[in-house]
Amino acid sequence: MEVVELSEESAVNTQFTVADLEIEILPIIYEIIRSVEKDPHDTSQKAKESQDTSQKILELQKKLDSARAQIKRLPGIEYSKEEQLQKLEILRKQLRLKRELLHKYRNMCTFDVPKV
Amino acid sequence: MSINRSTCEVLLSVVDDIEIIAKELIENIIAQKHLKLSTAEHTHLIELLISKDNELKTILIKADEQAKINLRMEALKDEVDRQDQDIQQLQRQLKEAEQILATAIYQAKQKLQSIARANKRPVSSEELIKFAHRISASNAICAPLTWQQGDPRRPYPTDIEMRLGCLGRLSDLPLNGQMVGTHSNISSDLHRTGPTTEPLAAHATHFAWHPSGEIHMSVAGQGTVPINTHKQESEDVEVMSTDSSSSSSSDSQ
Repeated sequence: MEVVELSEESAVNTQFTVADLEIEILPIIYEIIRSVEKDPHDTSQKAKESQDTSQKILELQKKLDSARAQIKRLPGIEYSKEEQLQKLEILRKQLRLKRELLHKYRNMCTFDVPKV
Repeated sequence: MSINRSTCEVLLSVVDDIEIIAKELIENIIAQKHLKLSTAEHTHLIELLISKDNELKTILIKADEQAKINLRMEALKDEVDRQDQDIQQLQRQLKEAEQILATAIYQAKQKLQSIARANKRPVSSEELIKFAHRISASNAICAPLTWQQGDPRRPYPTDIEMRLGCLGRLSDLPLNGQMVGTHSNISSDLHRTGPTTEPLAAHATHFAWHPSGEIHMSVAGQGTVPINTHKQESEDVEVMSTDSSSSSSSDSQ
C-alpha cells in the first residue's frame, strides 16, 4: 500500500480541498444587521450607512455564490459518504479478485519437464 | 438529510437555506415596525441560522474526509487498471502460446500419421536406393559422369517411358504408328508442360514429331537434328545428351 500513500500525497498538493474554502457567511450577516441597527440621526450619515448596507448585502450575495462555486469544485463529494465507502469496498474487492486472477494465471501452466 | 443525496447536494442546499434565512432576517430588520416579527421569532431565526452554519461546517468536515477517501479510491482505481493491463497482457501471451502449441500438435500428429503409415508398409532401404538411382538415371538433364557408348541409361525419359506416362495416355493412342493425325497435339503438349521436357527446353531446343514416329530436335540457328527414339540402335548415342557440347558434336557430323 506504499503506492497508495505516495499518490495521496502528490494529489493533495494539486487539488482543491476543504481547507482552501472560504465560506464565512455569519460575520457578513452580522455586519449588515449592525449597520442597519445603528440608525444614525444625521441625514448624510444615514445615506452613507444605507449605501454601506446595500454594499454589504451585495457582498453577502457574492459570498454565497462563491461558496456554491467552491463547493462544486471540492473533490470526492459526488456521492454520500456511505455510497463512497461502498464503492471503495467494491474497488478493493475488484483489486483483490484481479490479483488472485493474475496469480492463478501465473501459476496455472507449470509444465512438467519430461524425463528423458 | 437523506442517505441517497450526494454530499455536494447537501452542502448546496444548506447554503441555500442560509441564504433564505439571511434574507428573512434582513427583511425583518428593515421592515416597518408593525410588520416586524416578534422577538421570539427573530431569535428563532437567528438560532436557525447558527444551526445551519454549524451544519455546514460539520458537512464540510465530512467532505474533507470524503476527499481523502476519494484519493484512496483513485489510487485503487489506478492499481486496478494496472492489474487489468497485466491480465490482458497475460491473456494475450497465453493465447499466443496456445496457438503455437496447437500448430505444434497438429504438425506432430501429421508426423505421427506418416510414421504409422510408414510402419504399416515398410520399404527396404535398398529398394528405395535402387528406385532413386533409376529416377536419377532417366530424368537428369545430363548424362551420368561414367556414361559411355552403349550404356542404355538415358538422361531423359525414353520413348517407352513417355508413352507410359500421363502425356502418352492423355490422347489414349495405341502404341503403334497410327498417331499421324494428332501429331500437333502431342508436340504442343510437349512444349507446354511436363517436367521431363523442361530440361530440353531450357537448352533452346525444339522438338517436332515427324510422321515416321521420330522426334526431331531443332537447335537454334543450326537446323534440325533427327533423334532416333529406338533404344536398341546405337546411332542415337551421339545425340542423347542435350548438352550444347553434344549437339555441336552432332552438328559436325
